[in-house]
Amino acid sequence: MSKIAFFVLAFLSIFSAMMVVFSRKPVHSVLSLIFCFFTIAGHYILLNAQFLAAVHIIVYAGAIMVLFLFVIMLLNLNAESEPHKTSAGKIAAVVSGGLLLLVLVSVLKSTDGLQLSASPDSQVGMVKNLGMVLYDKYMLPFEVSALLFLTAMIGATMIGKKELD
Amino acid sequence: MNILIALTIIGVIAMLSEILRFRKVLYPLALTGLAAGLVLCAMEWGSNIRYFHDMMFMDNYAIAFSMVLIGTTFIWFLLNPAYLRNHEHEADYTALISFSLAGAVVMVSFADLTMLFLGIEILSIAMYIMAASNKMELRSNESGFKYFMLGAFATGFLLFGIALVYGVTGTFNLQELAGFVSANKVNLPAMFYGGLLLMIVGLAFKISAAPFHFWAPDVYEGAPTPVTAYMATVVKTAAFAAFLRLFMTCFSGIADWWAPMLAIFSAISMLAGNILAVYQKSLKRMLAYSSISHAGYMLMAIVAMNQNSDGALLLYTAAYAIGSLSIFTLLVSMTTNGNEMINSLRGFSSVNKIPAILITITMLSLAGIPPVAGFFAKYYVFLSAIESGYTWLVLVGVLSSLIGVYYYFRIIIAMFQPADRESTQIQFSNSQNAVLWLTVILSLILGFMPGFLTGSI
Repeated sequence: MSKIAFFVLAFLSIFSAMMVVFSRKPVHSVLSLIFCFFTIAGHYILLNAQFLAAVHIIVYAGAIMVLFLFVIMLLNLNAESEPHKTSAGKIAAVVSGGLLLLVLVSVLKSTDGLQLSASPDSQVGMVKNLGMVLYDKYMLPFEVSALLFLTAMIGATMIGKKELD
Repeated sequence: MNILIALTIIGVIAMLSEILRFRKVLYPLALTGLAAGLVLCAMEWGSNIRYFHDMMFMDNYAIAFSMVLIGTTFIWFLLNPAYLRNHEHEADYTALISFSLAGAVVMVSFADLTMLFLGIEILSIAMYIMAASNKMELRSNESGFKYFMLGAFATGFLLFGIALVYGVTGTFNLQELAGFVSANKVNLPAMFYGGLLLMIVGLAFKISAAPFHFWAPDVYEGAPTPVTAYMATVVKTAAFAAFLRLFMTCFSGIADWWAPMLAIFSAISMLAGNILAVYQKSLKRMLAYSSISHAGYMLMAIVAMNQNSDGALLLYTAAYAIGSLSIFTLLVSMTTNGNEMINSLRGFSSVNKIPAILITITMLSLAGIPPVAGFFAKYYVFLSAIESGYTWLVLVGVLSSLIGVYYYFRIIIAMFQPADRESTQIQFSNSQNAVLWLTVILSLILGFMPGFLTGSI
């Protein structure tokens, strides 16, 4: 059952990732990217990482993609106004992409015979276990990060607010 | 821990003051709060409590540096009544400063790398905002933007370094890290050294040591002068204390690997900072370069890495903060007239006799001339470097402080010259006069009893 789910999700995520690159309209790319993020969140759930899946959807599919959409709409990008890419740029893109592929393939090949030193705890990513760690061991960093966000919020209102005079 | 809560409460009260309309009493309230914080801090002396699964460790090192930080902020508040009071954003400024101070306290008392990271971020983000707080001025915007972009990069380096070190050791805890390093001293993997290198880059940026100092002159010059004063004193002290605490606890066993690199950083900082400061016409920019050179001297204490390092660094940061606050009192009054050139100081002493003498004394302290605090600060740092066998570094230090004497005396000479058409009128308020007296008294006390600080930790 989970094997079928994995293959379906894997196919969908690769397909939507391809669509991001190949579609001509930026808005379609962004929508495919959102779909891709959702399928990756599905992978996380298959791996027992519920919290990571939720955060992934909230942060990536929610906040970051909204930013992307805003930028595209504000800049009014569409297929016609897409800037022409020079051949030097294309060659550079192919070379750097090929190098990344080379690195990934060689890394994957070298991990072939590796033995895990300890079997991973399959329950470690569940929300309950994560909550136990976050509110017990990492209580203080959790609370102190509230201070960080408060500081950032004061700054945002202070910089963004219109001066009275 | 209590001090962290107290500082947060001051910040929250500052935020509420805008809503509940008691902004008029905020300034005295903040001063009382800081004084109370100093007492709270002193009461924890010697208790050595570890808080919340060893996230914070309030040892004497943490308390001593926290007291230096809070004391510096207290004097900073006294220095800037004109900047803070009756300003539209007084509540925001006060809240940001007290939160950033809380971040600084976290930075000196962390026992876990997550806390180190959070502390650095709280302090830095507040500083990015404060640097850009003069919204109508282009230089302030540039300063804030530059500081933010480069600071975000440095944070990225630091975080990547922490992640790599965690990948090797499997722990964020300083004690467990130290245990891992001493157990595997000979066969540490390359990933560990890569992580350590990235952490050094990130921290060297935060202390503005050469060759990661290029942001400092522009940011210091563009930020509003009171903010520059805060960056040069509190931020620098906290960053150095965090740097030394991390390396002394965890990585002192492999000092052979990183100490030569930091020694070179220290030598370049001292030489570059002092030589470039000579050529500056603006007092504010000169102080920026001099702060880079002082970073070089303080780095020497970290390079030495022996039992005297922490005491020497404590004395140096205290002496440097006190000296800087005095000069910044002068600079803050100068920049209210829109003038920060050294030449405009001519004729200063004929109007302000006593302030001129007081500033001269603290200037001598920064230049490292006995019997004031700065001389002994340099002496202890040099001493601990010699004990660890870095004689060449000490030679560079002595040579570059001779250059430093030259440009500090340029200010002193300008102050005692007769007035000409370039000179401006400078007025001190009562609390600024108090700051001048206070800094002189403190630097004389530290000059005559340096052991009071060096022996305390």
